[in-house]
Amino acid sequence: MTQRAWQTRRIGTRVLHAVLVVFAATQLFPLAWVFVYSLQRSGDLFAGDLLRVPSDPQWNNYARAWVDGHVVRYGLNSLIVVVAATAASTALSFCMGYAIARMRWRLKRAAIAMIVVGMVVPIHATLLPNFLWYSRLGLIDTRLGLILPYVAFTLSFNTLIYAGHLRNLPVALEEAARLDGASWPRILWTIVAPLATPATVTVAVITFLTSWNEFIMANTYIASDELRTLPFSVIRFQGEYSGDYAAQFACMVIVAVPALVLYLWSSKHVMAGATAGAIKE
Amino acid sequence: MLPGLAVLAFSLVIPLGFSVYFSLTDSAGFGDYQSVGLDNYREIFTDDPVFWRSLRNVVLLIVVTIFVQNPIAFVLAAVLSRLSARASRLLRTAYFVPAVLSLVIVAKLWVDVFNPRFGVLDKLLRAVGLDAIAVSWLSDPRTAIAAVIWIIVWQGFGWALLFYYAALMTVPRELEDAAWVDGATGLALYRHVIIPYLAPVIAAVIVNDVITSMKQMELVYLTTAGGPGQLTQFLANYLYQKAFVAGEYGYGNALSVVFVAVSLVLTAVAVRGARVVAP
Amino acid sequence: MLIPVLASAESRITIKMGDNLPDRSNTWGAIVEQINREFKAAHPGTEIATESYLDQPYQQKIKIYATARQLPDVFKFWSVTSLFKPLVDGGFLAPLDRAEFDRLGYLPGALDTNTYNGKLYGIPVSTDFWVIYYNKQLFKDAGIDHLPATLDELYALIPRFKAKGIIPMATDGKDAWPLAITFDLLAWRLSGQSGLPRQAIERKIKFTDPVFAQAARELQHLATSGLFQDDLMVSDYGAARNLFGQGKAAMYLMGSWELGLGADQAFSAEVRAGVDAFKFPTVKGGKGSIDDLMAWYGGNYVVSATSKNLALGKQYLAFYARRFPELAWDKQATLPAQTVKPRPGDTPVAKSILRVIGEARATSGTPSVDLSTPRFKDDYENAIRELCSGLITPEAFVGKLDAAADKAAKK
Repeated sequence: MTQRAWQTRRIGTRVLHAVLVVFAATQLFPLAWVFVYSLQRSGDLFAGDLLRVPSDPQWNNYARAWVDGHVVRYGLNSLIVVVAATAASTALSFCMGYAIARMRWRLKRAAIAMIVVGMVVPIHATLLPNFLWYSRLGLIDTRLGLILPYVAFTLSFNTLIYAGHLRNLPVALEEAARLDGASWPRILWTIVAPLATPATVTVAVITFLTSWNEFIMANTYIASDELRTLPFSVIRFQGEYSGDYAAQFACMVIVAVPALVLYLWSSKHVMAGATAGAIKE
Repeated sequence: MLPGLAVLAFSLVIPLGFSVYFSLTDSAGFGDYQSVGLDNYREIFTDDPVFWRSLRNVVLLIVVTIFVQNPIAFVLAAVLSRLSARASRLLRTAYFVPAVLSLVIVAKLWVDVFNPRFGVLDKLLRAVGLDAIAVSWLSDPRTAIAAVIWIIVWQGFGWALLFYYAALMTVPRELEDAAWVDGATGLALYRHVIIPYLAPVIAAVIVNDVITSMKQMELVYLTTAGGPGQLTQFLANYLYQKAFVAGEYGYGNALSVVFVAVSLVLTAVAVRGARVVAP
Repeated sequence: MLIPVLASAESRITIKMGDNLPDRSNTWGAIVEQINREFKAAHPGTEIATESYLDQPYQQKIKIYATARQLPDVFKFWSVTSLFKPLVDGGFLAPLDRAEFDRLGYLPGALDTNTYNGKLYGIPVSTDFWVIYYNKQLFKDAGIDHLPATLDELYALIPRFKAKGIIPMATDGKDAWPLAITFDLLAWRLSGQSGLPRQAIERKIKFTDPVFAQAARELQHLATSGLFQDDLMVSDYGAARNLFGQGKAAMYLMGSWELGLGADQAFSAEVRAGVDAFKFPTVKGGKGSIDDLMAWYGGNYVVSATSKNLALGKQYLAFYARRFPELAWDKQATLPAQTVKPRPGDTPVAKSILRVIGEARATSGTPSVDLSTPRFKDDYENAIRELCSGLITPEAFVGKLDAAADKAAKK
């Protein structure tokens, strides 16, 4: 490492480092801006100055955002839908990933093709037909009507990550277990699953974040206020409370925080897992 | 395995079948409808400038992603890979934060940043005396598409950087050291050793770029809704608007089918192109 | 003993409703809430669950619900052809008893706009017409003491407001229909003839006729002259309304249904007290009068044909028709589609609104953007967005309108 550091310590280095910081600022500044405005009064927004940290932070903006944004109700809905979708998608993709990495079966090629197509086809192309199809089955405006597509559209990516990961695991343990007469589910659960933990963390976190942030399907398939998910808290400030800019900014902060916390907590595993999977492709 | 495939079939294959069926009708989504044969498709290809505009915008986004976002991400990743572990982790986290935000927040945030009255961008421009270019970024026809693409690229930047960073970390030290001994330094090291070594990763990222670019919709829906005029229209948003705003459900489904076909074709082209880069 | 218990358990009914009034604490939304409370009191055991969105998302939602056959029991909608006819044709709406509503003081023609094949499908709620709201204090601050009567006079005000850092006029450009209404009006102001756009939709004349091209030129100039907020084309209804309500814009081009601005508690007392309205100016050299009024019956209430609570829904409509005009005028929220009595205590803006309609020489009926199919509406709105963004010429715009009308006529 020191040799590398020495290598790069040239005139250009400082410039490059400055560029790094400028880019980091570009990525973070809008967020800082939102946070600062979330503590001002709505009227302050129109003042000329760029970024003024208020001397008397208006924490009650957050109280209004919490109440007017229906944060509790929408947040609970998000949690229910997202946890269910994450659990189902992780479990299913684990089995599929294993089947692809380890087993030989008929139609395997066709199944892989379908999984790849599932990655390529944009969800938006299925919004219209799915809407009609779900409505005939009575799935519109139900939680299941969100969980199902969330599982479907994360399944392909997750399966490929698992397949990539499992392929690199030693087969010896499983074979030994099979010789001992252990059943498939048992092998999967007691031997393969623990070894696949890094992939599981990646898959679960990414599925969680994707579903947590999903908007367009929730917008299309969910009708009633009782079932809406958290992104709609922000949307609420476009209509009814659209004059309350400060609370709107506060609401954006509230909605962003859980995703940020989850990400910061898990970033090490996720980065490692996601890139490992992607690079194996 | 089976339940997984069943879910895929249920939410992917069957709906696409529905789509093909309704694309051959003049359905409004409700009420009676009639079969119109291939009329919808004929109209898309011969009499719908907005479709071509949407397609052009998608291609533009792909081009910007591959030729602007990717090189920058690669360079930054390269610099990052030579920093201390702590500094590198801190910066990587900063870069990746936008990627974990909800699209609703990203959209709202940039609508506000670009706002001509209280947006931070125009305030900044005015502060340094550039009043002339302090425009309404998202509604000015000259800047709208650039502003929308900027938002998308901004959010996607973290992923690109992450992929390249992880890839750079896999470059074996021996390879670099050998090149070092041969006298390759700085840029030459990257040009002749590292980039060729990483060609497969670069190819995979490019394929991924094509797929994600096709999938852009929410940011358009939540910022410009395709406007001004239809300058920032994207395929996914256009078909949604046709079906649920204009009441042209049949036509929207025809757009859906074409959209899937375009996605598959562009992805196939990208995969083929990637093979040229990394045989 | 058991029977009453069972009866009360069974009579617990929830009526699902939908409307475009997300703000339930002010003006119109508050009135609906009050009517709901009174209705629930008169029908014990009845619950009302309302879903509200702004206009555009709401219209999208209703189309989506119709597709899913999950329309609310009772919902607010629009009387205009482009929105209403598809629902009537699809059999989604329950016919109502016209005789019951004929007695309730509806203005002439109001019920007719909701009548198809001799059957009444909805009750109109408001009399809608096109005016310009203004903020008296901001006019005074800019030293302006008389209201513009011609477009040239209006344009002359632009620099005076801009010098004060005030947006001269706000409107909703993103949704395009306000621009389309203004286009109709400009064609009328220029030609002095009403109903030209209707004739063009019926293909008796063409949109490429000179009068429409001229109106398009005027509209494009209006939209690009600096009169409106910079981000007109991405400002939605709420954003535009806020600019005016928060004293950032001196004028607000919108319909009479916004007369509640003078009573909206969300805005400051100064702004509320200073709200008034005036007639859309005339065009130099035009043959029309300032008293030619774009006026129509916009919003209505309907009952879903497949509602499980059909009878109760119809009762709600009758109840609403009886209560709404009085409450709406009492709270100065909007001008109902039924007769109202002017009172000395009316807000200045309410008085002006009554004067504008009272002095009208002729009225337009439904704006042309809403006279035809949903497809026509969409094509029209997209074309007008392009025109007002300066992306196409007025000539290209009327060409697009004519093509859209042709397509709609063929269907």
